[in-house]
Amino acid sequence: MKIENNILDILPLYEYAMAIGQSLDYKESCDLFLKLILRRKNLNAAWILEKKGEQLVSTYSIPLGQKVTIPLDKQINDFIESIRDNKITEVDRTILKLVPIDIDTGHLVIFNLKEQGYLFLYSKVEKLKAKDVLQLQPVINKFSISLKACKAFKRQQVLLNNLELRNQELSDYAHMVSHDLKSPLRSIDTLTTWLKDDYGDKFDENGNSNIKLIRNNVEKMDTLINGILEYSTIGKNRTEVYDVDTNKLIDDILDIIQIPENITVIKNDLPIIKGDKYRLQQLFQNLIGNAISYNDKDHGSVEIGFSDKNKFWEFYIIDNGKGIDNKYFDKIFKTFEKLENNLESTGIGLSIVKKIVDLYGGKIWLTSKLNEGTTFYFTLKKDYDGTA
Amino acid sequence: MLITTNNITEIVSTISNHVNKEAALISIGEHMEIDVEELIEALNDAKLKFMGGIFPKVIHGNSILDKGIVLNTLNNVEELFLVKDISKKNYTIPQINFDESTPYSIITYVDGLTSNISHYLSGLYENYGMKTNYFGGGAGSLSLEQKPCVFCNEGLFQDAAVVSLVRMQSRIGVRHGWNKVDGPFIITKAEGNIIKEINWKNPFEVYKEVVEAHSNKQFNDDNFFEIAKGYPFGIVKDHAECIVRDPLMVNEKGELVCVGELENNTLVDILNGNQDTLIKAAENAAKESLKFAENPRKAIIIDCISRILFLEDNFDLELNAITTTISNKFPNVSIGGALTLGEISSYGEGFLEFYNKTVVIGLFE
Repeated sequence: MKIENNILDILPLYEYAMAIGQSLDYKESCDLFLKLILRRKNLNAAWILEKKGEQLVSTYSIPLGQKVTIPLDKQINDFIESIRDNKITEVDRTILKLVPIDIDTGHLVIFNLKEQGYLFLYSKVEKLKAKDVLQLQPVINKFSISLKACKAFKRQQVLLNNLELRNQELSDYAHMVSHDLKSPLRSIDTLTTWLKDDYGDKFDENGNSNIKLIRNNVEKMDTLINGILEYSTIGKNRTEVYDVDTNKLIDDILDIIQIPENITVIKNDLPIIKGDKYRLQQLFQNLIGNAISYNDKDHGSVEIGFSDKNKFWEFYIIDNGKGIDNKYFDKIFKTFEKLENNLESTGIGLSIVKKIVDLYGGKIWLTSKLNEGTTFYFTLKKDYDGTA
Repeated sequence: MLITTNNITEIVSTISNHVNKEAALISIGEHMEIDVEELIEALNDAKLKFMGGIFPKVIHGNSILDKGIVLNTLNNVEELFLVKDISKKNYTIPQINFDESTPYSIITYVDGLTSNISHYLSGLYENYGMKTNYFGGGAGSLSLEQKPCVFCNEGLFQDAAVVSLVRMQSRIGVRHGWNKVDGPFIITKAEGNIIKEINWKNPFEVYKEVVEAHSNKQFNDDNFFEIAKGYPFGIVKDHAECIVRDPLMVNEKGELVCVGELENNTLVDILNGNQDTLIKAAENAAKESLKFAENPRKAIIIDCISRILFLEDNFDLELNAITTTISNKFPNVSIGGALTLGEISSYGEGFLEFYNKTVVIGLFE
């Protein structure tokens, strides 16, 4: 009989406990738990006051009440400080200062929610029993933790929203600036072409060399701006996803890029993956292009392969080129970072690669030994659906 | 007041004369042979303010009728409004400024076959709290086919509720008379009004074991409601009568379909009652409402239709117990009401609840 009574005492706790943590929204979390307590215990009201500086502020109330801000004078401070875990009390003058709803008499139990403030449970007629309060204490402790989680979640959401907004602004800005820069660049290109055509025979060798230098720099800047434009559009829109045969994709890339005679490219059998051809081509072409461009060996080699890693495809591109010092492993994926002052390089290729891999929910990393070569690895999510 | 004529003009004239310039609370028996939309139009033409519902049966004095209109005057109406889309939770409860020194009562009729009624009631309480008493019931057809069943000046609606806030003192009594047979059990999975698991097991298996052992009857393919109407579930409350939920049928998966919603992890007992306990409870509900009543002018009875299905011919005894108890103390009080699909009130002074198989009696002063 005693065991049976204990079970009967514990069972309501199960119901209360299961109502906690069902939502990460502060109000909804309070609604789910506190409305249940009001129903099951036949109570009339519940509210939470939170300490903010030298004030108590109401953060929840059922029924909806006034949003109250109560200055923490000595009397109120002494009163709330006297609540260690909980306190059963009557509505009196001090309590009436702590109420966001209209009441004049009645019974209360106040729970100390620690950092989350104080929970007031109010009954108009029936006094709450010490046994009930004792029973509720552990679930109220759990409730307090869930409120903390709600607040942390909200802070995280705000940060995330801000971050998304900033990213969007930055991306829009990069897009706009790149577009605006292209127009004067086109003008310079046209003007230097006219200069060369109209006055080429009047310039001395130095003048013609300077014109050539201007045009080379214009071309380089155009490539750079195109790179920024590409970078800023990756992940902006949801992309269409379909089956891409990476065997064929690599074959097409190898047809496009110039491969010096001293470089051998080995392509292993590659899988069919989910993605969009345009981005995947950018990804592979950048990495293969780098592996070829920075190969200083008489017999250079580049090998492309993959392995199946359950939810991911893991690709690798091995070369026997110059190698990269460990200290540059992170730096190379940052925008406009270059390891050497190569006029052909914009410093944006590997940033684009990293951004595409991020978009595909994957990771990119490398191993390398100076003078022996580098291996780039990257993973792509098998169930990529067009969103990061 | 009871209206039995089917003539719309006569009905409107009777209502108009009865309520004078006040609003009308109109309860219509579902087999009344009138076009309710035509009635609404005529009431609007007569510039009357009103709200009402169509119920399986209506109560007038000691009579139970499925044809007839029971009319009550809503004195001193402060607000009368419609809440649509109850099931979608897509509504706003209007803000009202209450006068602290005035007693208020809310009377609400809701489509008893719609979902999320508890959410609606919770919304009422959240907004109006302890500033008013609450009283009402679920409208709809005994066929359990959902159709338009609540109305006001704006028209006839389903999936809706009509609400009037009146400056009127009310005294409310609530009782059901069902007692625990076994429990508590945990509703480990529920969806709306369907119990999908009890104690992580098939709900019908659990229910059947308890009910068959207690009733000495066996469930077969077509006697579920016949036995189940005497064995409702009771949502366990601390130190108070449980809230009854009425199992209506068992589906092919062994899930139990109830009137009224249940939530995951709710603790329930399986209950049983008999003629004596139910009638005694009805009498006690009347006594409870009388306890603080000083000068009531009308009594409105909201009694669950399933009680008449359980008590059958003996339901007269229940109604008689209520009316006699009220009349003994206040002989001139008019008594009317409805047999409903769910009953609404605060339990004592507590949170607002939606009941099944329960009697709610309101005395209005």
